[in-house]
Amino acid sequence: MAGKPEVELLLTWGANSYGQLGLGHKNDVLLPQAVEEFPVSLVSIRSITGGGGHSAVLTDTGELFVCGQNKVGQLGLNHTTDVTHFTFCAALTNRHVVQVACGWDFTVMLTGDGQVLSCGSNSFGQLGLPQKSCAVPQLIEALTEKIVHVAAGLRHALAATEGGQVFQWGTGMASQAKRAFPGKPVSLFLTAEEPCIVTGLENIKVKNVAAGSYHSVSLTDEGVLYVWGSNKHGQLASKEAFVAKPQKIEASVFSGERIDEVWSGWTHVVVQTETTKVFLWGRADYGQLGRSIQEGQVRELLDTFARHSYNIPFSLPCLKGASQIACGSEHNLAVLGSQCYSWGWNEHGMCGDGTETNVHSPKTIGALHSAKPVLIGCGAGHSMMLCRTTSQTLQT
Amino acid sequence: MSVFHDEVEIEDFEYDEDAETYYYPCPCGDRFAISKEDLENGEEVATCPSCSLIVRVIYDKEEFMCGEVVPAPPTKHAELIKC
Repeated sequence: MAGKPEVELLLTWGANSYGQLGLGHKNDVLLPQAVEEFPVSLVSIRSITGGGGHSAVLTDTGELFVCGQNKVGQLGLNHTTDVTHFTFCAALTNRHVVQVACGWDFTVMLTGDGQVLSCGSNSFGQLGLPQKSCAVPQLIEALTEKIVHVAAGLRHALAATEGGQVFQWGTGMASQAKRAFPGKPVSLFLTAEEPCIVTGLENIKVKNVAAGSYHSVSLTDEGVLYVWGSNKHGQLASKEAFVAKPQKIEASVFSGERIDEVWSGWTHVVVQTETTKVFLWGRADYGQLGRSIQEGQVRELLDTFARHSYNIPFSLPCLKGASQIACGSEHNLAVLGSQCYSWGWNEHGMCGDGTETNVHSPKTIGALHSAKPVLIGCGAGHSMMLCRTTSQTLQT
Repeated sequence: MSVFHDEVEIEDFEYDEDAETYYYPCPCGDRFAISKEDLENGEEVATCPSCSLIVRVIYDKEEFMCGEVVPAPPTKHAELIKC
């Protein structure tokens, strides 16, 4: 007897104050739920991501579908009403979008020809545009070079050029920089409201960028990591409170290995090395780093050690070989083999285990046992996954 | 006993003049909020309507109790007339 045919499901769970889960309502969801009636075939989905209160799904034909908070036009739908179902961003018709980065209340889109558009709030210059705010994606004309990768933080954004340079815009880090170095001039790229080249990265070629709430990360084509911005939670693997210009994280920290990929939460950073080891560092108090402390161990001693070592990247053996990772503000998802893992902050059920208890080490999501993960993505407090399964409904 | 999620300078909050409230992003996607009136009364805890997280607001209490609006320019006289 032939097995049941497999079907694709787009599942979402976690915080849902603005309808960012695309489920047609605004109630938090503690267990993965299937999005019904996604506008196009789920097979065409190529990436999934989210911002403060919104979500963005990109297809292989470069079409963008969005839902969630839209108070300042971050969905690019030419209005400012929240949307609780995934909706086609019609303003981008004829723009082949290849990557989308969602900030707190704004969205940055990269097209196949290397142009960058943005929409949403521009209160901190995070759109890189002269306008105040935009409910329709606008081309960032100040970026004249071909862009290959973009990232968005709380109040700043980043773009890597084909030539390996990095541009930053949005004043999110400016006030912290000024407080950290009173009376001293602050680098232009920390205070610019339009794309400004990040100095200190000369003679290297950046291929990927990532953004936290108040920090920036660049990964070079040689697998070296550079970081700058706030280090309040040790997220820059440094001892300074604020790192004003790009600082290299020595490969020795990663057992001498090259970094292949980097992701960032609001205040923690995750990388995967050439041998697929996964290192995490930064804020840890909700379990973000997955470094659990077992009951029965010398807890106090470990607590003390752990508190002082969160700025040291630490490899989690259980994540070695992960094929995908996604970071929310204070939680994470990972795919290992045919299983999806979650850990970190869970007050809104973003870890998908049906509880609101923080998850201190990566744990498989039980409800997804029969589903094979295809793609994962996170917004600040919510989680999304495209999966293949033989059953239409999930065991809960 | 409450543990603060963060300590945030008032200048990093966004001020909504209509709501007379200061807002700051909460990791759940909603916003920590504290009203100008609360700040004038010396309150320093901004809360998120959607979750249990709270942040401590770093600000100059004296300045707020004088009736000054931050970051807008001082409007003591205008405020007296309004009252």
